[in-house]
Amino acid sequence: MLLFVARRLLAAVGVVWAMSVLIFAIVHILPGNVAYAILGEYATPTAVAALEDKLGLNAPLWLQYWHWLSGVLHGDFGLSLSMDRPAGPVIMDALGRSAILAGIAFVLVAALGIGLGVYAATHKGQASDRALAFAQFLFIAVPDFFTGLLAILLFAAWLHWLPATGYVPIAEAGLREWLAHLVLPVAVLTLGLTAHVSRLTRSSMLEVLESRYILAARAKGLPERLVLRRHALPNALPPTITILAIDAGILIGGIVVVETVFAYPGLGRLLVFAIEHRDLPMLQAGILIVTAIYAVANLVADIAYALLNPRIRYATGVA
Amino acid sequence: MADPAQPLLRVDSLTVDYATGRGAVRALDDVSLAIPRGQALGLVGESGSGKSTVVLALLGLLGAARVTATALDFDGHDLLRDPASVRGRRIGVVFQDPASVLNPSLPVGLQIAEPLLVHRRLRHADAFARATALLAETGIADAARVMRAYPHQLSGGMKQRAVIATALAAEPDLLLLDEPTTALDVTVEAQILDLLESIRARRGLTMLLVSHNLGVVDRICDRTTVLYAGRTVEAAPTPALLHAPRHPYTKGLLGALPVPGSRARLVPMAGNLPDLTQRDPGCTFRPRCPLAEEACALPQALTATAGHLVRCHRADETHDLRWPVPEASDDAAPPPPPRHGPPPPRHGPRRRTIHAFLSRANERPGSSASAEDDEGSTPTDTPLIAATNLRRTFRSGGPLARVLGREHVVHAVDDVSIAIARGEILGLVGESGSGKSTLGRLLLRLLGADAGGVRFDGIDVPAVPPRAFRRRAQIVFQNPDTTLNPRQTVEAILRRPLHHFAITPDPEREIDRLLDLVRLPRGYRGRYPHQLSGGEKQRVSIARALASAPDFVVADEAVSALDVSVQAAVLNLFADLRARLGVAYLFISHDIGVIAHIADRIAVMYRGALVEQGATPDVLHPPYHPYTEALLSAVPIVGARDRHASRVRLTGDATTTPGPGCRFAPRCPRRLGPLCDTVPPPWQRPAEGHAIACHIPLAELASARPVLAS
Amino acid sequence: MSATLAAHHRPPRLLALGAIVVAGFILVAIVGAFVTPYDPTHFAVRLRFDPPSFAHPFGTDEFGRDVFSRALAGARYSLAMGFGATAISLVLGVPLGLLAAFHRGAVDAAIMRGVDLLISLPPILLGLLILAVTPPSLWKTILAVGIIYVPILTRLTRAVALGLLEEDFVQAARARGEGAVSILSREILPNAWPPIIVESGLRVTFAILLGSSLSFLGLGPQPPSSEWGLMIAESRGFIDEAPWIGLAPGLCLCALLIAVNLFGEGLREALDPRLRGRDG
Repeated sequence: MLLFVARRLLAAVGVVWAMSVLIFAIVHILPGNVAYAILGEYATPTAVAALEDKLGLNAPLWLQYWHWLSGVLHGDFGLSLSMDRPAGPVIMDALGRSAILAGIAFVLVAALGIGLGVYAATHKGQASDRALAFAQFLFIAVPDFFTGLLAILLFAAWLHWLPATGYVPIAEAGLREWLAHLVLPVAVLTLGLTAHVSRLTRSSMLEVLESRYILAARAKGLPERLVLRRHALPNALPPTITILAIDAGILIGGIVVVETVFAYPGLGRLLVFAIEHRDLPMLQAGILIVTAIYAVANLVADIAYALLNPRIRYATGVA
Repeated sequence: MADPAQPLLRVDSLTVDYATGRGAVRALDDVSLAIPRGQALGLVGESGSGKSTVVLALLGLLGAARVTATALDFDGHDLLRDPASVRGRRIGVVFQDPASVLNPSLPVGLQIAEPLLVHRRLRHADAFARATALLAETGIADAARVMRAYPHQLSGGMKQRAVIATALAAEPDLLLLDEPTTALDVTVEAQILDLLESIRARRGLTMLLVSHNLGVVDRICDRTTVLYAGRTVEAAPTPALLHAPRHPYTKGLLGALPVPGSRARLVPMAGNLPDLTQRDPGCTFRPRCPLAEEACALPQALTATAGHLVRCHRADETHDLRWPVPEASDDAAPPPPPRHGPPPPRHGPRRRTIHAFLSRANERPGSSASAEDDEGSTPTDTPLIAATNLRRTFRSGGPLARVLGREHVVHAVDDVSIAIARGEILGLVGESGSGKSTLGRLLLRLLGADAGGVRFDGIDVPAVPPRAFRRRAQIVFQNPDTTLNPRQTVEAILRRPLHHFAITPDPEREIDRLLDLVRLPRGYRGRYPHQLSGGEKQRVSIARALASAPDFVVADEAVSALDVSVQAAVLNLFADLRARLGVAYLFISHDIGVIAHIADRIAVMYRGALVEQGATPDVLHPPYHPYTEALLSAVPIVGARDRHASRVRLTGDATTTPGPGCRFAPRCPRRLGPLCDTVPPPWQRPAEGHAIACHIPLAELASARPVLAS
Repeated sequence: MSATLAAHHRPPRLLALGAIVVAGFILVAIVGAFVTPYDPTHFAVRLRFDPPSFAHPFGTDEFGRDVFSRALAGARYSLAMGFGATAISLVLGVPLGLLAAFHRGAVDAAIMRGVDLLISLPPILLGLLILAVTPPSLWKTILAVGIIYVPILTRLTRAVALGLLEEDFVQAARARGEGAVSILSREILPNAWPPIIVESGLRVTFAILLGSSLSFLGLGPQPPSSEWGLMIAESRGFIDEAPWIGLAPGLCLCALLIAVNLFGEGLREALDPRLRGRDG
């Protein structure tokens, strides 16, 4: 088990490091001079030179990378060009707000997705299962930004139940207002992902229910609810964790879109803003942070998977 | 409680229908059984006979199938109406393949204690104490530790003991055993059968044993019922059934069974199981029955004849009717000899040369120079294929595990020297994990050896063998379902080797010839593998291997996945092809009965090394290696009930870790003492070409009681 | 057994329905570019924010452009992204997967580490990174989406090929001394393509989703093109007075996605061996 965790940790660190190289390479080596990319095609040579000097672009690439990386390791994420202040605090601020959105959505997705998936599997072929299958099919196919648009139209523009966009701090506007601004983005994020998770949970649960140890458990005369709870669920959950890890990735992507739709000032919106304003240091730092978060999420999923799976937990034999 | 004179279980006219995409399948048709208290009933049949369906029907676990019966009575309880209240409580079940029956994510102890917690409502501590006692009763030494283990940490035999303990937990009156030993090695199977016998005696249990293996049924059961395609064809006391079978199908099953010690030609059954979607009121066995006549198309009643219940209107005569003599090996026109390669030598391989070679190879274990000694001899004196000091190790775990010393190393083949003469069949026998298949693949250079060499026809085979070697050395695999490319027709499958090796200018005729050779209709050319039965697929696989007119074929468990009736036909085919084409085989099998039947010489493998090899009669009779003795005595042989006295039982299984000495020592019932654990055993030679790797003096080995009648 | 047999014999209705609708969209994309009622980029300032009418079934936008014509013209972008990107993933991913399966060791390790790297960022973020530094355009989006989904096809192909390499019929080919090319073309590919095709069918849906999402974020075709995601992004400012500007392309996009998804599911039903029974 320790060996397993060590191996996964090493792999995660390796991936984040490799990603830092890739991010840096894409930003600095791709066709087009960084300074021109920032200043536009018609920049004067003096302006370009000044900017290159400011960004340290005259140093050799590996040195630039080293400066950037060592900065990042010391918590210095460079200077935001568009805001002209350190990118780190700006990112952390936005990250906090995104975390609220992502956290609530993820908990809902996990609870609803697994719950509905198990329900559908145990009611296979019945009307409720088929209705769920239809809803899943629909919500997997509809893009987040369109669901978002529909939600704004319906609940904000026509019904005036909820605010269309934006974010208010809980300290300023109170819990009610804060929540009101969260409802629509969370709902939009949750719908598509719940469809995905519940669908895959259903099939993994069905696979378990067809296994011979479930037949054996029934042959022992155990009540069906015990068969499901003790014998089926623990075996259906590990694959679900893998699914949730994949969906954590989709969730992070979804946040970029949903924050843009709802003008929610989180990390996703900040990244899009950075691209629009060619704020490359901010973009670099933001994407690196997302990579690290995603790597940690995957690491947690791997460990949870191992904890639920005695084959990995106890890798050695007794006899 | 109902009348003790009544049978504990009575099944009358059990009929089961499934709906499938091709129409309704009648899996069971009017099956009736009765088991008196304390008795054991065997239910025998090949795959597709519906024998496992009986078990599931009794438990009410058939799901969507339609189950009807005039009575499904268990001790006065109607199983048709309410199976749930006795399931697991008064009826215990042991399914086959314990690896998939135990829940992988729950500790074994909880799974055994569950029936006690649910049915007996014991407190947790009491239930676990009782479960530990049950495990101990099933012969597990450190039951307390096994209770805490997860299934993947246990060997197959221990898992099956745990499953049996679970079935016994609620102290049932009836034990249903569905192929309880099928997935297990033969030495472990013997242990489990012993256990079932003793449990039955101790607890006065009533048993229903479902098995495809007549030998297993013979060991355990008082009466036996034979199922064919969902119908009872014969029922009788087991000895009567096995010694004087009445129904042609039962006769056929027994005639097809290879028996160790007998080299008589097997009598296979022609044809396949009937299509169960087509209802046939007459005898469904008649298309395969050599005794069939017109009246067989009429419905057949199950009638009593001389203590047997037989579903055959000729039952009274069958006793005197001679079961057909084995198909003649030259039933078809003899095919032309292979056009390539040296002409096949007549029978009688050059045993002397082989023996000389082997003595030299084995006298100096660890020296790879032995093959060099052959240089002076002429090519005709050399064995066809000879391997010296082959080694192959498998490692698992990544570089990190290696650094941390957690690497798992398996010595699959450890210093093995082996030689096969032209036209000779060498049988290689051993339990699962003994390295048999690895050795076969090393010989063919499908796997690279870590050390040692292979010489073919006197020439060293390099790691990447030339085309000529590939043409002359071929392989037939175990699993008929994966051996053929599902997207190619039989014709394409056979054409490929002909084309690849440029065998003939006229592939069309050659394909016909190959189909004739393996006795498949020429019309099968256009068929895809999924349109063939298991035996037919295996025949195509043999034809594919023979297409290049090889001199040597590795048959890797080539008949193990087949039903007895089909297996007999394929075994006969192998024997005929050797006789006709002079092909030499390495015939790998876990079934010493099959090996004893077909092989000229036998090599016995244990944990990666040979422990004995020699001519078949020598290996099957004392003196033999204690492991060979144990293997032989473990095989459940039909009609050998009274063999009990000479039974040699092994403890543990082939995963039991050996020390630096004899690798069999930890399990050896004849272990001498520390000598066996610390010093590698010497090769002893009781006869020419017969070698036993053992410390025990030959005289003592020779005095062992023979397991087989001579 | 009964259920799988039943599934096998059910006519592939999903496949047919999905295929018909997708074919309709393709027709629209090809023909629609020439026969739109109005020029999709024609400004008609006096007709701004006209609600849906007989003349303008989906109304007009803030420049008075006919939304119906623009939606029609937008079909080709989504189709190009869906099928183009999937084609790129296939062309890159399948050979890489086969290469990895055939050359265990260093080649395999290098390919799989590259795959690990590409999936260490969620798809949209990887899209942002790839598309951020150069001016966006349709073909760059297609290329980016194609690259993003390469790992999935590489992993799938590798897993399928590794499984097949263990099969006895491949071992038999090796025992004949067949070369890698022969084993690949005769034994592996004919058996590997069904799962690859199934996955590609599902990939088209995801490629359209991802492509239109990137367009929505401004990383796809640029104005005045009428890519649906871009149209929806542009409509956001007028959601109160002219919701049809966003609704029309959104509904088109949904219809296409559902059809492609149906088609993909139909393919899976028809080809997935786990849903298929054996006969004979």
